Amino acid sequence: MDPVIQLKNVSYRYPVGDEQVLKNVSLDIGRGKLVTIVGNNSAGKTTLCNLIRGFIPHFYKGDLEGSVLVDGEEIADAQLGQLAEKIGYVFQNPFIQISGVKETVFDEVAFGLENLGVPVDDIRRRVEDVLQLVKIDNLRNKNPFELSGGQRQRVALASIIVMDPDILVIDEPSSQLDPVGTEQVFDIIRLMKERGKTIVLVEHKMDLIAEYADELIVLADGEVKLHGPVREVFADPSYMALGIQYPHAAALALDLQEKGMELPFLPIRDEEVAECLARARRKEGRP
Amino acid sequence: MATNAIRALHPMTKFTFALFVTAAVIAVPSYLFAYAMFAALLVIAAAAGVLREFFAFVLKTLVVLLIIVFLMQLLFYPGDDIIGGWWVFTLTQEGLAYGLLLTSRILAIGSAFILFFRITEVKDFVKALENMGLPPAGAYVVLSTLQIIPEMRRQSNVIMDAQKTRGVETEGSVLVRAKAFLPTLTPLILSAIASTEERAITLESRAFSAPVNKTSLHTLERRPIDTGLIALFTIGAVALIVWRVAVWIL
Ligand SMILES: Nc1ncnc2c1ncn2[C@@H]1O[C@H](COP(=O)(O)OP(=O)(O)OP(=O)(O)O)[C@@H](O)[C@H]1O
Ligand SMILES: [Mg+2]
Repeated sequence: MDPVIQLKNVSYRYPVGDEQVLKNVSLDIGRGKLVTIVGNNSAGKTTLCNLIRGFIPHFYKGDLEGSVLVDGEEIADAQLGQLAEKIGYVFQNPFIQISGVKETVFDEVAFGLENLGVPVDDIRRRVEDVLQLVKIDNLRNKNPFELSGGQRQRVALASIIVMDPDILVIDEPSSQLDPVGTEQVFDIIRLMKERGKTIVLVEHKMDLIAEYADELIVLADGEVKLHGPVREVFADPSYMALGIQYPHAAALALDLQEKGMELPFLPIRDEEVAECLARARRKEGRP
Repeated sequence: MATNAIRALHPMTKFTFALFVTAAVIAVPSYLFAYAMFAALLVIAAAAGVLREFFAFVLKTLVVLLIIVFLMQLLFYPGDDIIGGWWVFTLTQEGLAYGLLLTSRILAIGSAFILFFRITEVKDFVKALENMGLPPAGAYVVLSTLQIIPEMRRQSNVIMDAQKTRGVETEGSVLVRAKAFLPTLTPLILSAIASTEERAITLESRAFSAPVNKTSLHTLERRPIDTGLIALFTIGAVALIVWRVAVWIL
């Protein structure tokens, strides 16, 4: 594996906190992988994102131990200003992700490219493309301050992917979105993966994780409890004790298993359930 | 986009004009001249299509100030040429003249800048300052502050509504309204402080501190007419000042 992001024995405490929010975290994230982070509230997911993006330690001070490497480079030694082009970070809270100096969504999305010194003609073309991609072309002339939560979330996503970073860190992109909007955002994430981006995604919707993600990291109380291919993590017996949801299909199958049915494998996507049941029946000797 | 010929001028052209008016009314010690300047400003405002807003704004902001200043001069300015008396005050010709001169100047200068901001978009003005060397961070602070004001007003209304549903009286006399308004300030200020940190991170995530020269979708056009007018206003202002100083010395 060719790890793009490497954490080695990282522990971190916020300046105003008395407890370590991350405890001895070590993990490798491979190039081009879509890795999802799950964990209950205040498990440290956002903190982990801040760490990968370099906001810890460049912006949030506090006690940091261990090392965070991105592309082999120690993030603490990197220049914060140069990281934006490499790592895009879409925040959890869509209400703060507005530059505050742009009067239209079009200009808002263009802001990052202006800051990167991209020639104006390229900016226009790239913003047009992204507005189409994220399906916010209808908002192009609206004032960013006057958008709904879901609209802001999409504008925030568009504002980051327009800069075309190699790594995307996306913290709960669908919290303000309805099911259709969520599907659309995941379509975009899949497209980004197809374009070869490495994606770190914090998300709660397990069915979508089962469908799209390569790997799953389970955080609890600042520790990495499980990390591996999605299917293996869900099948891990210790997963259940962590009190985190399963995908629908897996929950259903585990219920059946508890009732005495033997499963040939743990289905994690809805379409795998039929296959799983058919095989289970055959195994029991029934046609 | 401004299609009006006056509004389409470069912000610096308009700004130089406001400075020219300032220099002119200070250089020429005549209230008739300064009032004529104000009349000229009205004509320009009309030509730019902002007469109504301009006049209303001047009325709202300057008139009370002018009346106070005028009365102060009239009542307290020392002089010998007594033209009347009122209660314990004596009114002098000098006081009247100085009151007229001072108010005419305030009116002309104040209106010149009010007109400037009526016919110039803030983002154009800030852009012009940026082109002249204002660092991007400074430009950001100016622009975001001006954009945040309507947003704060909106938030304040939301909080006021919330207070109202809790039974807090928000309408009525000034005192009642002040009582209702003060508590809204705390959440407003707190959220403003909290959001500066978030704002900084937001900017960072949008490459604001990237070590390159920024580009801009929004550019200002500086046409020959701008260069010409700026030269004209500058020469005009300098000539008036030189004339004034010459008269004074000789
Ligand atoms: N800026 C900060 N200063 C101090 N403590 C913080 C800060 N941000 C987060 N924390 C603390 O760190 C812990 C982990 O927070 P974090 O935001 O990483 O959790 P999370 O997993 O993202 O939670 P959520 O699901 O609610 O988004 C929490 O106990 C929180 O109180
Ligand atoms: Mg979080």
